[in-house]
Amino acid sequence: MKKLFLIGLKDLKLMFRDRAALTFMLLAPFLLTIGMGFVTGRFSGGSTGLSDIPVVIVNLDNNQLGDALVDVFNSEELADLMEPTASTDPEAARQLIESNEASAAIIIPKGFTESIIPSEGAMSNPNYTEPEAVQIEVYTNPSSPTSAGIVKAVVDEFISRVEEGRTSGMTSFVGLMQSGLVDPQNAESEAQDLFQNVDQTESSAIALRTDKEGPDAVEFDLLAYFAPGMALLFLMYTVSYGGRSILAERAGGTLPRLMISPTQVVQVLGGKVLGIFFMGTAQVGILILASAILFQVKWGDPLGIAALILAAVFGAAGWGMVITSLARTPAQVGSTGTAFMLIFGILGGSFISLEQFPPFMQTISKITPNAWGLDGFTTLALGGTLKNLTEPITALLIMGMFLFGVAVLIFNRNGLVQQ
Amino acid sequence: MKKIFAIAWKDAIIRFASKSEWLFFIILPLTFTFLVSGGTPSGDEDNRIRLLVVDESQTAISQQVLSELENSAAVRAEVVSREEAEGQFDDRRASAVFIIPAGIDIESLQNASAEVELLQQPNNLNASIAERAVLTAIRRVSSSFSAAQNAVNVREVKQPFASEAEKQTYFENSLEMAQSIQEDAPERVTVVEGTTPDQVDYDPRANSSAGQLITWVFIPLFGISALFAYERQQGTLRRLLTTPSRKATFLLGTISGQVALALIQMFLLIGFGVLVMKLNWGREPLALSVLLFASALAAAAFGTTMGTFIKTEGQASGLSIMFGMIFAMLGGCWYPLELFPSAIQSAVRVLPTTWAMEGMLDLGLRGGGLMDILPEAGVLLVFAAVFFSVGVMRFRYE
Repeated sequence: MKKLFLIGLKDLKLMFRDRAALTFMLLAPFLLTIGMGFVTGRFSGGSTGLSDIPVVIVNLDNNQLGDALVDVFNSEELADLMEPTASTDPEAARQLIESNEASAAIIIPKGFTESIIPSEGAMSNPNYTEPEAVQIEVYTNPSSPTSAGIVKAVVDEFISRVEEGRTSGMTSFVGLMQSGLVDPQNAESEAQDLFQNVDQTESSAIALRTDKEGPDAVEFDLLAYFAPGMALLFLMYTVSYGGRSILAERAGGTLPRLMISPTQVVQVLGGKVLGIFFMGTAQVGILILASAILFQVKWGDPLGIAALILAAVFGAAGWGMVITSLARTPAQVGSTGTAFMLIFGILGGSFISLEQFPPFMQTISKITPNAWGLDGFTTLALGGTLKNLTEPITALLIMGMFLFGVAVLIFNRNGLVQQ
Repeated sequence: MKKIFAIAWKDAIIRFASKSEWLFFIILPLTFTFLVSGGTPSGDEDNRIRLLVVDESQTAISQQVLSELENSAAVRAEVVSREEAEGQFDDRRASAVFIIPAGIDIESLQNASAEVELLQQPNNLNASIAERAVLTAIRRVSSSFSAAQNAVNVREVKQPFASEAEKQTYFENSLEMAQSIQEDAPERVTVVEGTTPDQVDYDPRANSSAGQLITWVFIPLFGISALFAYERQQGTLRRLLTTPSRKATFLLGTISGQVALALIQMFLLIGFGVLVMKLNWGREPLALSVLLFASALAAAAFGTTMGTFIKTEGQASGLSIMFGMIFAMLGGCWYPLELFPSAIQSAVRVLPTTWAMEGMLDLGLRGGGLMDILPEAGVLLVFAAVFFSVGVMRFRYE
């Protein structure tokens, strides 16, 4: 046992002396996590990194509803999200989109309000017909689809309220007219009263209950997903780096020397595996700790975290050993390990959410330690504890054991010290 | 010229001596482009967000809500049982679940006791979009009831109803009228996609394709540093000192060989985009070629400079992947730059990936031509000139 431990510790020390490897194992995932933090708005407090969306508003209506829409974009509520600027020239506004200086332009044509709220004298006119619809134009920038989509959603929401108000006003007024309860002389003012605040109607016949508030509300920190996502991505590099040391020792002649010492093959291999395990645990542990200290990521149950890190490293180390057992040179382990790192990264959800994959890809992702590890970290970030991690931890342990078995078989077939 | 070609050919042989190089040259780039673009909706397919709906009410009202959701441009409603929905939600295979409990009927709307429920994965953009869509749907259904109720209230103020039956009849007539007004409501918003000429269809997958192309071409070009380190470690650079070859000849041979390989790789990926993903990359071949060439030069120059700082091949391959990934992410190759805070958007203009990506978007999304990508190509060539100068100045054979 002592020999195993000494071999493992020696490999760990070697890793900490290799500055380039350390940079790749620790700095790269850390920097990518910071990038993810920016994209997801983790550092700016939003649900995405979007803020100050440049939007140009051309209000040619200059009436109640046109002004109300301008007010919506300049409201306190949207102050962080939108950066509206006013323009009087639709063509100039479109030009700003074309030169990529804004995400969307909103052009409110003249007569927009009058197309919804009957103008003075209209309702008392026996020949009154509803005016033609005047459409607001949202001119979008195709290279900012998300921002443009949000601008469109805000306009849609406003129109939806206006439409509600119009429906309500029209229904009330026509009902009164049909009941003969409107004095023709007062019809004008009554209609105007009913259409007042048409843009501020709020229907509440059906209430929507969400789980975002109240005692069951969950605060989910996106970095608690992306930080382990990146750590698990680079963990695959670390385990192949560890595996590479077996072949490097073989090429350098130190492995055969070890074999002539009173050390069994199993002890050497076990020590190497322990070294890989130490390296992976140190890497993921340091990244988790750094995110907790520097970004205040709440990782959840510490016992769960510790168990999950150990299981994830065990599963990944299994892959590292299989890659090593199949390779002939350290360089082969390096390139194959990097390829596995990237493939497992995308399949396991480190780059894009698994939700976006078709079901068969989600099933394939289960061969990666990344997918199981991320599943566990997400469970913890959502308030789960060690007892909720039975499935991912068991899967990772089975993965590790199976792959170690495969690696030992291949090593036995090829011989550990033969080239 | 012969020397330059010989050096370039030798580097290609060294690079492809290992079969695993094919993984990085073509297999991984294609896999990533396919998977990432697969996660990006195309313009043709139903790209709405999947929303699981549990309808335990089975009433006319719940059917109206469902019908409104089916008309939504944002979500695609999928009716399932509560057990199925909760199972998928717990496994995080669904962003949101909309539950219409039993008892959502006209009566419950009239007495304002109707309540529906939305389960959302925390901090999930799709779940937030689903919430908006659900709010719009229930607002459209409930607005006619609210309008009818409001009409009853207005009428009651004017003249109280003689009986409950009269009030109910008035409510029902008003409801019918409100629904009719709502159905006849015209479209009041029109969306016009800017800048893209008519012949260019907007396809969001072009963004993913361009991003993956830049990522996978920049990483091996940064890996030129590994070639220098390899030769330095092997001692072959020192041997070159004894031959009548100038430093510039050696560098030109190495760099031009790698740039040529990068161009082949780029055109293979472009071909994949055009033939398999039906992307419109072939519209401006000259502009595309200029941009790709300038991008390859800028990346190769950065790799050359890296090569003068790095000592071993192992260091070089790790760092080239690291820099490639970080530059790609910050340059907007993985996620649109619009998602980054404005300060970061300005800061990342110091990266060649940002300019390369912007040029690709000008061509692929904005329908630009040669004149439109000249600024980006110009900046990339400046990057190339600066990094080549640093690289040549610092280059040592030993």
